[in-house]
Amino acid sequence: MNNRVELNRGNRIFLACIYWAFVLYVFVPLILMIIMGFKDSKFIGFPIRSWTLDWYKGVFSDAEVLYTFGYSVAIAILSTLISVIVGTWIAVLLEGRKFWGRAVTFALMVLPALVPGIISAIAFRIYARWLGIEPGMGAIVWAHAVHNVPFVCLVVMARLSTLPKSQIEAARDLGADPLIAFMRITLPYLVPAILGSSIFCLLLSFDDFVRSFFLGGYEPTLPVLIFAMLRSGMSPEINAIATVALVLTAAVGIWAERFTRRTNKESQA
Amino acid sequence: MTYDASVRKDSDGHAVASGPRPFWGRVANWGPYRAFAVFLTASPRRQFFILAAFPILWLLTQHLGPMLQMLRVSLIDAYPVAPGTPQEFTLDNYMRFFGDSIFWMPFFRTLTFAAVFTFCTLIITYPVAYFLARHVSRKNQMLFLLLLLIPFWVGEIVRTYAIMILLGNTGAVNLVLKWFGLIDRPIPFMYTSFSMGVGIVYLTALYMLLPLYSALEKLPQSMNEAAADLGAGAWTRFRRISLPLTIEGISSGCTLVFLISTGFYATPVLLGGPSTTVFAETIAGFFHVAGDEWPTGAAFAVIMFAAALVITGVFQKLMYMLRKGDTR
Repeated sequence: MNNRVELNRGNRIFLACIYWAFVLYVFVPLILMIIMGFKDSKFIGFPIRSWTLDWYKGVFSDAEVLYTFGYSVAIAILSTLISVIVGTWIAVLLEGRKFWGRAVTFALMVLPALVPGIISAIAFRIYARWLGIEPGMGAIVWAHAVHNVPFVCLVVMARLSTLPKSQIEAARDLGADPLIAFMRITLPYLVPAILGSSIFCLLLSFDDFVRSFFLGGYEPTLPVLIFAMLRSGMSPEINAIATVALVLTAAVGIWAERFTRRTNKESQA
Repeated sequence: MTYDASVRKDSDGHAVASGPRPFWGRVANWGPYRAFAVFLTASPRRQFFILAAFPILWLLTQHLGPMLQMLRVSLIDAYPVAPGTPQEFTLDNYMRFFGDSIFWMPFFRTLTFAAVFTFCTLIITYPVAYFLARHVSRKNQMLFLLLLLIPFWVGEIVRTYAIMILLGNTGAVNLVLKWFGLIDRPIPFMYTSFSMGVGIVYLTALYMLLPLYSALEKLPQSMNEAAADLGAGAWTRFRRISLPLTIEGISSGCTLVFLISTGFYATPVLLGGPSTTVFAETIAGFFHVAGDEWPTGAAFAVIMFAAALVITGVFQKLMYMLRKGDTR
């Protein structure tokens, strides 16, 4: 018995070391990147001899960078609105309903999430040209919206599957037609899933590079701008821009995680 | 069928005396809405068609449409199609792939890289997921998982850049190695398959970690205890219990990571060098020019997608058979 406990402890310490090493692996690069943004020199790399805030001042006074931020946020919001409406609608169709061709419909629904990035980007590029959509904001919004639909749909379907059917039946018995029952029972019940997945879509769209790159016009989104700057060399200015983007996305992500956890707990209680 | 809104009630069903009619009550009794609702719900069949029409249309035109259009463009001989001229269908675009090693070399390189990187991701994240699911108390699990999730909300480009800084000639790894006196001059990590691997594993780790974690979490602790009581060592328990029972998680994680890593474009461009050109760069090359090369690019994309699907399909089948074999 003692032997077993000893063995387990050895295992646990070994695994804990691996876990913390992995934490280092995922955090250290980002931390280094943030530190570099404060270096008072044009050259990225160690050692750092003096520090400055000039790169950040530069970012917040650079009209082009600020415009790009706004442009990316606008694209993220618009595409998320579309994804959420369409994704929820498809989820309502697919969840708990048996009909001919349901399996195929489901497969079609998840397709955009499974297509590798580059292939999805050029397929959208070709299709946009065929439809006559010019590269630019509209094309990016459309591509992001289509790409993000499966994520909304899967999350909403998961939530929908836990909706107590009795509530809908009660509403119907009390005389509500299906539409009113949906608006007053189903939709409020889905709110946490819809909000959670829309935050996820916002982040996906804001962070997306490959679709924005191939469908963009002359105005870059933020990842495309960083990519273009990187092609011409590393500079602490890029670190400052990337850090601002990082703080923004991580903050939104953490907030959303806490929010969904809380609402899940509430609805379980 | 009428929603009686004339009597307003509170949550316990008691009538509330006065005040304006509730919003939904007014909607329900509004003439045009009534007509609309009756039209929608006249029969279950009609109701279903109205519910299904838009999603089906969307899925066909938006999800399937781009794929089919890509397939069509890959088969035509001239693009953009000049008005008035009949289009000829041809397989020439596909034939170009086999004709030149600068095309199929990156293709096989991409598949090899994707397979190797997927395997590395699995090896790295399995112990992490195992630790999270088995050795961390329920209360802390979410906290520990959340800690790992934070970096994954950060975008692909930013994280790729972070790896560039880490591995550069004046980067942190070289600095540390120099510090300890292990090297005199910096090791050129960047622009090699190594730097690309570090970057891609960094980007995909989460997609492996989550399926593994959810598979391991479902595994009953009692099984491990029983095996331990019967004298099985840690390695035997892992090989005979945890591994077979988490094959489903392994298989879906690997499939996801493989598909994702074949599709990376920016990461190989930024972290790789001339000797590590991947097929995504080859495909993208056809789309930088005006359009006459698009059919070839489309054909190459179709080849790559088909290959990735076949490989992941065979892999899943193998894993399925392995699972079947083990339970017997």
